[in-house]
Amino acid sequence: MARNRTLSPHARALLAILLEARGEWRHGYDLARMAGIKSGTLYPLLIRLEKQGFLEAEWQAPVEEGRPPRHAYRLTASGVALARDNPLTVAASPLKPMRS
Amino acid sequence: MTPGFRRTLALRLTNALLALLPPHLRDWGLAIRFELETIADDRDALRFALGSLLSLAPRAFAFHLLMPLTHLVGAEAHPMEATPMTDLPDDLFHRPRLFGLTCGIGAALLGLGYMTMADAPGRYLMVQSLALVLGLALAGIVGRSDRASSGGVMMVLASILLATSLTGAGIEGAHRWVGIGGLFVQISLIVVPSLILAFARSRNSLSTVAMIVTAAALAAQPDRAMAGMLAAGVAVAALHRADRRTVIALAASVTGFAVTLWRADTLPAMPWVDQIYYSAFAIHVLAGLAVMLGTVLLLAPALVGWRRDEANRASYSVFGAVWLSAIVAAALGNYPTPVVGYGGSAVIGYLLSLSFLPKATPSCIGVELPTERRKDEADHHMCIGIAYSH
Repeated sequence: MARNRTLSPHARALLAILLEARGEWRHGYDLARMAGIKSGTLYPLLIRLEKQGFLEAEWQAPVEEGRPPRHAYRLTASGVALARDNPLTVAASPLKPMRS
Repeated sequence: MTPGFRRTLALRLTNALLALLPPHLRDWGLAIRFELETIADDRDALRFALGSLLSLAPRAFAFHLLMPLTHLVGAEAHPMEATPMTDLPDDLFHRPRLFGLTCGIGAALLGLGYMTMADAPGRYLMVQSLALVLGLALAGIVGRSDRASSGGVMMVLASILLATSLTGAGIEGAHRWVGIGGLFVQISLIVVPSLILAFARSRNSLSTVAMIVTAAALAAQPDRAMAGMLAAGVAVAALHRADRRTVIALAASVTGFAVTLWRADTLPAMPWVDQIYYSAFAIHVLAGLAVMLGTVLLLAPALVGWRRDEANRASYSVFGAVWLSAIVAAALGNYPTPVVGYGGSAVIGYLLSLSFLPKATPSCIGVELPTERRKDEADHHMCIGIAYSH
């Protein structure tokens, strides 16, 4: 049985964004912006999540001619469970508060 | 800098990263390279590329450095997959103490290389090697103890230091050493770094008194290098949290340092110990490089920890200040060159001080996989279970 331990705020923020996507594919730059983390933090996290089976990655064909393909990500079933077990708390969130 | 230049630079950085990455990470390099095309703002694109390069390039370098070792130890190294060995650098970066111990061992071995090239006596090499083994053993014991940073333990160590100042062996008016089995052991180099880091971690009345006793002991010896280390370490701790106890400790350590500056320090330079930043290159360029690289390794735990573990930056910055001050003192005066120069006390002191760094950073995903999955993917276990435990 999987045993949960404390995740970093960045990992929680990333998992929360991917969980919100509800199985939709997400791209690296969008994830970085939405989770409020830098690319230098994002990619090691994505690599690790993918290696541990919490994340799926696939190459998507370009939507416009002349554009390169894009790498897209979504949570696996175990990733969804991990995200649910480790919700993002307001105190630990790396997301900047936004004015309404 | 024009926008076109930023975009070009970002592309070049991601291309360089792609070239560096080992086969099993190349898809990720391509992902970053292609993602750049979707970022409209050149400044953001450059930030994105630079961040990716800075975080993944060290892994790539480590992979290439460790590949020959992987083959040497006979581990299977499938070209398209990560192996436990290739995960080792990543794991190390997330375990500050383990990473520090690796750096300390590396620096000590480079120091032994320098001493060999500098024709140091065989006895020196043996003493340095024994100090390395002893330091590792002590670091293992102290690292497991919950009482290492307690005020009582700190008071005992500070008292031993004070006793050394009052009754220890004297050379040219300085009383810094204790004779053990024909060796002169500099107690301050062993205990002061740990005392500073313990104080930065746990500040109470007793630990503050221990800092005052330490400052008095170093002033009495006198030892400018160690008094400077104490003042620098406590000053950096105060920058992170300037409560009343820290201010008192800082005042005591600065006063102690001022006393050492005022008192004469006429100790001559010792071969293989002092002034080796200047003399090593004269022996051989490799000897000089060994000393320089070893010195950089001493600061690597602070630099890597500062960058990767924001929650514990105070510990890393105090650790960095402590050892940087020792290095600066060795560069400026006749004081021991830590770890890379001859002197077992510094080797033991450095390894012991690592026990006060966090055990693990919170950046690694810390979830254990089901047993059946672990069997299939043995390489995962290097990273799993590293939790934010500090």
